[in-house]
Amino acid sequence: MVFFEVEMQWNVLISPTELDAKGLLLQKAIIVRLMEEFASRKASKEHGYYVAVTSLNSIGEGKVRGLTGDVLFPVTFSCLTQKPAKGEILQGSVEKILKHGIFLKSGPMESIFLPEKMMKDYHYVAGENPVFLNDKHSKLEKDTIVRFKVLGFKWLEYDRQFQLLATLAGDFLGPI
Amino acid sequence: MSGEEEENAAELKIGEEFLKAKCLMNCEVALILDRKYEQLQQLSDDPTNQISQVFEKSMQYVKRFSRYKNQDAVRQVREILSRYRLAEFELCVLGNLCPETVEEAIAMVPSIKSKGRIHEDDAIEKMLNDLSLIKKFE
Repeated sequence: MVFFEVEMQWNVLISPTELDAKGLLLQKAIIVRLMEEFASRKASKEHGYYVAVTSLNSIGEGKVRGLTGDVLFPVTFSCLTQKPAKGEILQGSVEKILKHGIFLKSGPMESIFLPEKMMKDYHYVAGENPVFLNDKHSKLEKDTIVRFKVLGFKWLEYDRQFQLLATLAGDFLGPI
Repeated sequence: MSGEEEENAAELKIGEEFLKAKCLMNCEVALILDRKYEQLQQLSDDPTNQISQVFEKSMQYVKRFSRYKNQDAVRQVREILSRYRLAEFELCVLGNLCPETVEEAIAMVPSIKSKGRIHEDDAIEKMLNDLSLIKKFE
């Protein structure tokens, strides 16, 4: 998983009630509002997952917005983001085992599917706690850490997250 | 979209933004997120609005998958890997996955051997040895 540090510019809206504060308090209100907006946006198709704001670089001149009296501040900041790449090798843990494959999770990515067809020589073993086994008795069960390759992914606009397709086809892939 | 169809991290065929961006390894991110977390606790009485699930899951993940924990070791890892002509992306994948053999390193980051790049096995082996030494003395 590769994390990026990028600079972005967003607009932060401050309401009139917060504008009574001066100087440092106003800056704090802007920072807090930025962090809240950052946290609530979660992710975007272009940038990937919004992990954390690392620094506030500049706050531009505020512009009053029409009737409400809110003020819009353009804020330039640096932040950490994470986005999957096709062909990338990732580590994740087994979340759910189904007959046709396994659901993995890795960091902020919660929707990773590893189809049974892509699991080399592992096969499904039913039971109260189903697992995947291979001939060398290597087991894939809940919470097993697995190294896999990203076959592909897509952005789900409604859920604001990426959905990944994984494979174990390749050297040094599989449970660790 | 055609951009995504041609994309292949194994060949370092990744978007412009990936190639030009500053990349961070899990251990570097762990240090940053730890500091951020503390700052956020101090900044506000109720930081739950500023700490997203993405933040928490990322923090859990990088702490779990960081081979190097202390700041000096992390700096050394970056320093050692920077001596070799690697793209930021490749550097991070190597620093994260910590391959033990040259074979494994090439399997994890195939692009270090491709595209006419001069990364001899000897150089890769030396790099891996240097990395494992940091672990021993951390």
